Amino acid sequence: MSCKLEDRRPDWKSYALGELDARARQEAESHVAACADCQDELAELRVTLDAMATLREEELPRRIAFVSDKVFEPRWYEKLTQAFLRPSFAAAAVIAAAILVHAFVRPIGAPKNAPSQAIAQVDTSAIEARVTAEVTARLQSEMAAAVNTAVTKAVADTEKRDDQRTAQLLSASERRYSDAADFLNKQVTRIYALNTGAGVR
Amino acid sequence: MIFREVEDRDLIAKARQGDVEAYNLLVSRWEKRIFNYLLRLVSNREDALDISQETFLKAYQNLRKLDDPARFSAWLFRIAHNEAFSLLRRRKPESELSEPRPRDFGGRLLPIELSLAVESALKVLSEDQREAVLLKVYQGFKFDEMAEILEIPVSTVKSRLYTALDLLKATLAPAVFRKGGLA
Repeated sequence: MSCKLEDRRPDWKSYALGELDARARQEAESHVAACADCQDELAELRVTLDAMATLREEELPRRIAFVSDKVFEPRWYEKLTQAFLRPSFAAAAVIAAAILVHAFVRPIGAPKNAPSQAIAQVDTSAIEARVTAEVTARLQSEMAAAVNTAVTKAVADTEKRDDQRTAQLLSASERRYSDAADFLNKQVTRIYALNTGAGVR
Repeated sequence: MIFREVEDRDLIAKARQGDVEAYNLLVSRWEKRIFNYLLRLVSNREDALDISQETFLKAYQNLRKLDDPARFSAWLFRIAHNEAFSLLRRRKPESELSEPRPRDFGGRLLPIELSLAVESALKVLSEDQREAVLLKVYQGFKFDEMAEILEIPVSTVKSRLYTALDLLKATLAPAVFRKGGLA
């Protein structure tokens, strides 16, 4: 027996995979109740999908390396960029730019009787360029200062660690030298005593 | 699923602000799914693990480029897909030499044997077909999400998946059908 709907039969694969909308689903279910051909097709699909579901998920042989691991560590310039991209820094830059623009655009020193047209004719592009240059220079200077501070601190830390390590090594070798000297002195004294009979009874 | 998306969105927002622990949590939530998807796709545990690692590294590096955090799962699987197919393309000549053949699992099967039969049947599919099955049957993505991950039209997604299901049905039939039921 074949399905009377032929080419218009429900999309059973979409049905079995949960992709039909509510209405199409309802229509398909009404149809399958009375169609042996579609019942067989749907049953085969369900059995296949049930078999597929027996494949179990496997555990990871080892955990994925996390961000705190070396592989995820940002490089020094990424850290620096991130620091400068923080909202607080951006806000400070905007405020600084606003102050500068205000300082340049405000008509300080303009004659009281100067025509208003003269103020309006201020070359804004030149001001913008100067402000941009000033802000850029300040940003670069702050960035350079931050880098210098970081590098100086890193060098100082390294030197301090090196000094401590050197002092430890020196102290240890001095101790070893002193122990060895004591031991040699004792040995020499003992051999001398054996050879001369001093202190031997 | 909705709770998971909400929490993911929160973790993504925190990770974008530099919260390393938030990203660690995201990794731990998704690593098993990504690993299993890749394992079935490349059929090698070490490769699957390496690609999983690479996937999470790239996701971390590009987290700011993720337009819609609600689409994180599809975006993550897209990265995994790209990494896996990059490896498969490099290995193509080698894999073409050994065409997988379906194993004979005739007769009544124990669950473990059925699982092996499924594993074997999946290997009979082409990489594209297998991936469609993995994303739909094992990862539960919708057709439109699969189209986004694979960067192909929904019609192609359906075509690959339907062909794959027909092949799986034919391959598994001797093992699973006994008068229309599980053996």
